[in-house]
Formats: sequence, structure tokens, C-alpha cells
Amino acid sequence: MTNAVLEAIRTRRVARALTDAPIDRALVEEILKAARWAPSGGNRRLHRFVAVQDPMTIRLLRMASPGMFQRPQAVIVICIDGPRARSFGMLPTAKGVYVDVGTAAQTMLLAAHSLGLGAGPVTSFSRAAVGAILNLPEGLSPEMFICLGYAAPEQPSAIRPRTPVTWQSLSHWERFP
Amino acid sequence: MPSAMVLNEDEALELLAFLITAARTQLDEAAEYGPLRMLTAAGRLADFIAERASPGTRGLLAGPLKELPDAALRAVDPTKYAAQLDVVCRAVGEHLVSHFGSGRSES
Repeated sequence: MTNAVLEAIRTRRVARALTDAPIDRALVEEILKAARWAPSGGNRRLHRFVAVQDPMTIRLLRMASPGMFQRPQAVIVICIDGPRARSFGMLPTAKGVYVDVGTAAQTMLLAAHSLGLGAGPVTSFSRAAVGAILNLPEGLSPEMFICLGYAAPEQPSAIRPRTPVTWQSLSHWERFP
Repeated sequence: MPSAMVLNEDEALELLAFLITAARTQLDEAAEYGPLRMLTAAGRLADFIAERASPGTRGLLAGPLKELPDAALRAVDPTKYAAQLDVVCRAVGEHLVSHFGSGRSES
């Protein structure tokens, strides 16, 4: 079975190398618009996004991000809004808050793919340093970068080789035996 | 004779930031990222100094340091990964002797 959505899910890959070609702000905006539709627990919207296209700011973010292998043309920083989480009686460190980081990230990755962009998530960065670089207000915690650009033809190898994975190897039906 | 400067302040700061922030991120991350971060830092340093280094050091950067094992090998065959890193380490050691001189004492 296939359709456009399933095809996009199956063909998306993490881009660990990006070209120097710039990307239009309009494309970044489309990705942010898509993220607005990501599932959010209780529709609480505890996340804020910071879009960065200034080359120097991106360079500084990369200096503070050991996990950023690519040289992106734009970065969207997914932040947890701690005070807003607390306003709902939630700890900003509650698991659900991080789940919603993931739903926003996957939505952005698929949106980027649909627009012909390469995209890669990065979580290996210093929250403290990134907070200073972006002048984030108190309580806003950066949790994930979505690095954007055009995927380079040659990609560096992953940290482990791709092994065959089937949905059956990842799933159980009804309950464990 | 003093050594030539091979890093400018911007490059040194970039490397400093990488090392400091890697020390912090590594507290929360998989142990297997440790060597990867060190090799990434070494790669960036090599890129920075390549044009200003001595011919001998340039030879090291362009030769043995380009032969680092594939990151995925560590998961597949850790022994082979370590052996390949040892080959690079040996080349680094030999270059150190060549660059600084063996048995030379400044005291």
C-alpha cells in the first residue's frame, strides 16, 4: 500500500551533510507552519520555535553543538516553555513535554522533505551556551535543533551500520507472550 | 626557533567551544559518542592548521589522519576499530619524534 504521505515517511532520511546553497525564508516559514499542526498533549502548546538564518549565529550554534556535523543554512530550535508548562501544573521535565518535542520535530522533518530540503535533528549541544547565544528568556529551554539546507550528494556514514529492520521486529501484537 | 602560529583566535575559540560543550553533552549521552567527539575535534583542528603547518605535519594530516576508521566500524567490530585507531596513533607518535626530535632534551 502506498500514498503520498507514506511515500514521504519512507523516503525521508537524516541529512548529515548539506550544501552551501541558501534556502529561502519562505521555506523555513512553511516548515514552521507545518509544526503548528503537530500533535501537542492537551493542546497545551508548551513549545516555542526559534528560526535562525543569520550565518554568524548559525556558526556560533555549531561551535556549541558537538553533534552538529552539517553546516546548515537555517536552524529551527525547538524550545520547551518552562513557565507555560508550570502554568498547567506540569514540570518542564515531564516526559510528555519531551514527547511533544518529538512530534514537532518529526513534523518539521517531513515538511522539509516534502519541500525538497535536507534536514537533520541535533540534540548534542550545550543548553546553557545555546541559551546565551540566542538570548533566550529565563525558563525557555532549547531541546532540539532541526538543521536545514539542501542535502549533499555524499553523506557521512552513520555511527552504526544500517541493519535490516522490519515492523515485525519492532512490534508485538496485543500483548507479550 | 619558535614554532609558527597555526591557529588564529577565531579557530582556537571554535575548538575551545567544541571541547567545553562536548564535555558537558557527554555527561548525558551514549558512551560511544566519546571517541567520536574527540575525533571530530581532531578533524576540525586538522582542517584549521593544514595550510599553516610545516610540510611534515601537513603530511601527517593528509596521510594517516585521513585514514581514520569509519565510525560505524566501532559497533560492528570494536577490536578492528581499536586496531585501526592504533595505526593512526602510531603514525602520530612517529611524527612527534620526527617533529620534536628523539632523545632531545631542553633541560
